[in-house]
Amino acid sequence: MRLPRGRLRKSRVVTDPREPLAELLDRGVTGYAVFEPQDSLLLDADGRGVVTFDDGIPVVAYHTGTDRGGPPALADLAVPGPYHISVYELDGTDLATVHEVDELRVPPGMPAERLAGDPALADSTRRAAPAERPTGAETESGDEHGAVEAFLDDEEKIAAIQEQARQEAKQRAAEWGLNDT
Amino acid sequence: MVEVFAVASGKGGTGKTTSTVALGMALAERYDVTVVDADTGMANLLFHAGLSDVETTLHDVLAGSAAVGAAAYERFGMTVVPCGTSLDGFRDADPTRLRDVVATLAADTDVILLDSPPALDSRAAVLPVVMADRAVIVLQPTIPAISDGLKVQEYATSYDTDVAGVLFNKVREDGIERVAEKTERYFGGPTLGAVPESERAREARRAGRPLLAHAPDCEAAAAYRRAADSLSVRDGTSGEVADRFRSAVIPEPP
Repeated sequence: MRLPRGRLRKSRVVTDPREPLAELLDRGVTGYAVFEPQDSLLLDADGRGVVTFDDGIPVVAYHTGTDRGGPPALADLAVPGPYHISVYELDGTDLATVHEVDELRVPPGMPAERLAGDPALADSTRRAAPAERPTGAETESGDEHGAVEAFLDDEEKIAAIQEQARQEAKQRAAEWGLNDT
Repeated sequence: MVEVFAVASGKGGTGKTTSTVALGMALAERYDVTVVDADTGMANLLFHAGLSDVETTLHDVLAGSAAVGAAAYERFGMTVVPCGTSLDGFRDADPTRLRDVVATLAADTDVILLDSPPALDSRAAVLPVVMADRAVIVLQPTIPAISDGLKVQEYATSYDTDVAGVLFNKVREDGIERVAEKTERYFGGPTLGAVPESERAREARRAGRPLLAHAPDCEAAAAYRRAADSLSVRDGTSGEVADRFRSAVIPEPP
């Protein structure tokens, strides 16, 4: 997926992707966000997710590490934070070509469901989506459990999440002097 | 007997406080229950238990200016220890005093539920999970919530806190059984229950009443009662718990 670089509007580390998704929706941003998980254990070093937005509503998703697009790209990207997030603004015309690729498209509320785990934000995103976008009733709300099950079937990914958390817990216990409790 | 549970989730918005209060009320039918707002930075319990006007809270106890008994209120068949919401109260509170609070409460109750902060990013935030006997992990059936729940479990077990079980909350779709079955493979405890997304729960929160008092006959309330029934409370002596909490080594921040 190729996009013009655009105007960098934000670049920061967040613990929860809910915050940038809500902000992009509120501000009605047109452009794209690059999500880079900070945990190198979980993804290839160059594994990044890109989600485009039209007036604050997510349109397509792509993952550079797995080279998958659409809902599978969101599944690849759904790992515990923090994420480094960069937001670039573009003109709508710069996104037109990539927005026509069906395999890359995601239902409007899906990034809020799968990356932020926030059904309420997903609802507001769906409500704000233009009428011509499928609301996702048929593709989205009936299938969240399916996505969760697919995630739970990925034993390697779960093991990596557990291992990362174990190391983090150990390291912080030492930092916080909680080893003897 | 006394057992201390941390009700935890790695993520906000899972309905943890609603769940803590609901489990507390349901368990209060069989046990003497004390519910403590251990989320000292973002107090919430007082709004769920009709205690938003009380003068003395856990903040005063943690600041050393009140005894635990002065911040303990008998409500809805339980003892409720709410936290205050003021920034000054938070600033003056020493979260490490929580261990003394729990040790004191342990002398006089069967079950202590610690409503824990929805984060793992500071010593104060992990303290309830560190100090509890077991953790109840509240999950929404979403990928991020389950990922964060896995993190909570790793933190808990690294401090020898067992997982009592997983409680799914705000369930919107059918088919949670398959998700629960697959989730159980990764968690140390069983699925305690699955509580449906509920307008009654939102109403209860607005009314400042626990769900089980506001709408005892609704589906969500019934699911919480079943979850509480499936939670087996272990015997621990009050003295042991008190000793363990008092001896927990928690140094002052640098």
